[in-house]
Amino acid sequence: MSLLAARAQPAREAVSCERLADLAIDVHELTKTYRTPFARTKVEALRGVTFSVERGHIFGFVGPNGAGKTTTIRTLMGLIRPTGGTATLLGEALPSRTARAKIGFLPESPYFYDYLNVAELCDLAGRLFGLTPALRKRRADELIEKVGLTRARGQSLKKFSKGMLQRAGLAQALMNDPELVVLDEPMSGLDPIGRKEVRDLILELRDAGKTVFFSTHILSDVEAITDRVAIVARGQLQAHGTPAELVSKTLQGVDVIVRVATPDVAALTEGATRVRHVGDELAVTFGAQTDVDAWIARAHAAGAKIVQVTPRHETLEDLFVREVAEAKP
Amino acid sequence: MIGRIWAIALNTFREAARIRVLYGILVLVIGSNLLAVFLGQLSVREAGRVARDVGLAGISLFGSLTAIFLGVFLLYTEVQRRTIHAIVSKPISRWEFVVGKYAGMVLVLTVLVGVFAAAMIVMLGVQGAGVSSGVVKALVLSWLEVLTVAAIAIFFSSFSTPFLSGIFALAMWVIGRLTPDLEAATKFAAPWIQATTKLALEIVPDVHLFAVSGRTLDGTAVSVHGDFVPWSYVALAGAHGLGWIAALLALAALLFHRRDFV
Repeated sequence: MSLLAARAQPAREAVSCERLADLAIDVHELTKTYRTPFARTKVEALRGVTFSVERGHIFGFVGPNGAGKTTTIRTLMGLIRPTGGTATLLGEALPSRTARAKIGFLPESPYFYDYLNVAELCDLAGRLFGLTPALRKRRADELIEKVGLTRARGQSLKKFSKGMLQRAGLAQALMNDPELVVLDEPMSGLDPIGRKEVRDLILELRDAGKTVFFSTHILSDVEAITDRVAIVARGQLQAHGTPAELVSKTLQGVDVIVRVATPDVAALTEGATRVRHVGDELAVTFGAQTDVDAWIARAHAAGAKIVQVTPRHETLEDLFVREVAEAKP
Repeated sequence: MIGRIWAIALNTFREAARIRVLYGILVLVIGSNLLAVFLGQLSVREAGRVARDVGLAGISLFGSLTAIFLGVFLLYTEVQRRTIHAIVSKPISRWEFVVGKYAGMVLVLTVLVGVFAAAMIVMLGVQGAGVSSGVVKALVLSWLEVLTVAAIAIFFSSFSTPFLSGIFALAMWVIGRLTPDLEAATKFAAPWIQATTKLALEIVPDVHLFAVSGRTLDGTAVSVHGDFVPWSYVALAGAHGLGWIAALLALAALLFHRRDFV
């Protein structure tokens, strides 16, 4: 699918009932406008967001700060009432308590009752999901171990770091063994090891047949684990598809690293868009139109040794930056 | 439904039990009872009367102030601190959440009133005054008053800030307490003043029904020191309080239902 085809279509046909059953999330023309009561100003947080998430997929929802990611998620979770549009979760129209019983939710920068410990937090979540005491205890023990908080299980959440709170939030979100897991910035505040553990947990959930919908700023995580991605900016969906569909396969340029015998490299940097020369190593980047084979032949002739040649294609980050820059004000 | 409401109530109780101000209020009430013992020693054969008056007044005053304090903060802080996000995203209705918060407050306030009452009964014992059925009825009425005031506070807290909610709830409690006096004061006023006062008093819970000692009911003077109201009166006052509590919680739930948690 071309990028243009993958771009979000603001208007689309209504989804059939059979199709809805296959979807974990279906959002159609969702709008949210905040109005200040006395100053006649209004802020359009969502401006007709439309997308859907297949069951069993990992779906990344990316966008800059203030794009509408959290507003979309809070609307789906029943925290905010939409101004317009429709949404269904697991085939149930919003707001739906039946759907919420099958969903695990980690809020953005989670705030929990800081006088509880993680086991008590999980127990409270289990009670709200209507689990039996025995099941609550078993699930809490399993999840506390899974998120790596066994040693801190007796500590009150007040003493937890941001990363530990994030893990506690994940544990409480999974108490009901949910069909759909909605995570708002789950990697926020985590160190690289913590991020990897959350990525692994998300993949594990997908392997167990769950659907995972998460928002993030960290594009490398999105590229690494998602089946589909949506980019949102200024309250509108800018692009929607698989990472492979979204990024262009066209060659963007070539990075070449050579080892040079002489410090005079002026002849080898002609036509390069970027040059880095440290010691005997010369790294140059050429545009897609440059004849790199001819350059390599010239470098050989000048006594240089080729270390690495890497063709550059568009990354999700490139796409993200472009889509956000092009978003309508 | 009951399980979810109970979960919120237990959590609210746990939250409130950590508020240090409550322990300060507890000390104040016990202190006021000790003061009653001292004042009782100064009076002649009136030690029991002083202990009853000071004890019941302490329960009514400090219990109601505690109810306002808890009511205006406990719901508001859930929204302000965003702890509510992880709660209402679970399969719980917003009205269940409001009722759960109130039920948690009822637990806290019942324990507090129980401790206040125990302190008063101990002081009465020290004075050798004993506990009459009138005192028990007065304690039950005070407890009902505190629960009604808590519902007033939680109603305002569902849409306003703690400061404004506190002022509104305090005003309603004071006006409700002074209803007979306000009616008497406007008896000879201009008709429009009488009408306005009547209308204003109609929308305020009659919390004066719970503090009946020293008043005249149906031409009969009632006093916790002598002839007090029958149990049927306590039941009727309780029904009146429960009606207001149900109405205020229903309104609070309705307002809370319409709120966005951003």
